[in-house]
Amino acid sequence: MKFAIALVVASLLQAAAPTKLIPVDEVGYSKTLAANKSKVVLVNFWATWCEPCRKEMPVLAKMAAALKPKGLELITIAAEEPEDVKAAIAFLVKAGIPDPAYLKNAKNDDKFITSIDAKWSGALPALILYDKAGKKVKSWIGESDLNVIEAEIRKLL
Amino acid sequence: MFSRRAAIAAITGAACTFGAEPMLVQDPGGKQTSIIPGKEVTVVTFISTQCPISNDYNDRMSAIYKDYSVKGVKFFFVNANSTEPASVVAEHSKSAGFPFQVYKDQNVADRLNAQVTPEAFVFDLHGKQIYQGYIDDARNAARIRNNGLRDAIDAALAGKQAANPQTKAFGCTIKKARRS
Repeated sequence: MKFAIALVVASLLQAAAPTKLIPVDEVGYSKTLAANKSKVVLVNFWATWCEPCRKEMPVLAKMAAALKPKGLELITIAAEEPEDVKAAIAFLVKAGIPDPAYLKNAKNDDKFITSIDAKWSGALPALILYDKAGKKVKSWIGESDLNVIEAEIRKLL
Repeated sequence: MFSRRAAIAAITGAACTFGAEPMLVQDPGGKQTSIIPGKEVTVVTFISTQCPISNDYNDRMSAIYKDYSVKGVKFFFVNANSTEPASVVAEHSKSAGFPFQVYKDQNVADRLNAQVTPEAFVFDLHGKQIYQGYIDDARNAARIRNNGLRDAIDAALAGKQAANPQTKAFGCTIKKARRS
């Protein structure tokens, strides 16, 4: 019984809206991926100034919520200036993105971006898909067809 | 995933000479113009009328143009977004007070593999691309640590290679027109 209650509380906590952005650099990124091994992980790099990012975020939130019970984890990483963090959190809440949410906070952006995908220029939005073993499977840069992405995710679940 | 060594090789391989094949743009009057890097240090910068990051750089782009055009550097500011017609580009140039003209792209973004706005390319006196990447590394000018574009132009003017030939341009994805 206690265990069941704990599970319900944990799931409620996981679904809570973000109140802060957790800073992440290359090391933090790897650790976050490692912590989600055994799940299919979709990493979404976004920013409030990026119109296509704002457009796709609510759709991603719905997709992530629907596929979470099957093992999908959506990780959002905002590429924001410090003065825009509040606006980013407000947007995430409105879009229905659950906690935790992350903030790109690398000492060297070039190194950080290259460490994630050497072919990625840093353009947003960027979606990176990892399989349950933590191996990068695909990446989509710029506006993408979320139906195609969902189909790729379902293949891995 | 590329290894670091492979990534460096890819970056080195990105430098190329454009020779006789012109890159084409259209000036505000609708006249087609070729970009043929070579005789002068040439800078091609992709910009947007709508992208907030590109617009954050309007003053910095104007300053770079003013600082270096007097030193003989040739600039092409290019709008490659299919969603931003020439009339909108002209209006934006006027409202932003650009001291330079902005061209509509015909094939340059494809040729250079430009992905975002703003993104800059520098060619030396031999027409060789020596830089691709950001104008500088911070949207907020108070946080600039690396002046990628200025450093590359200085290197080209001095007949040297850019110390950092490729940086990660950050900004809005270019919405290129689909070509058949």
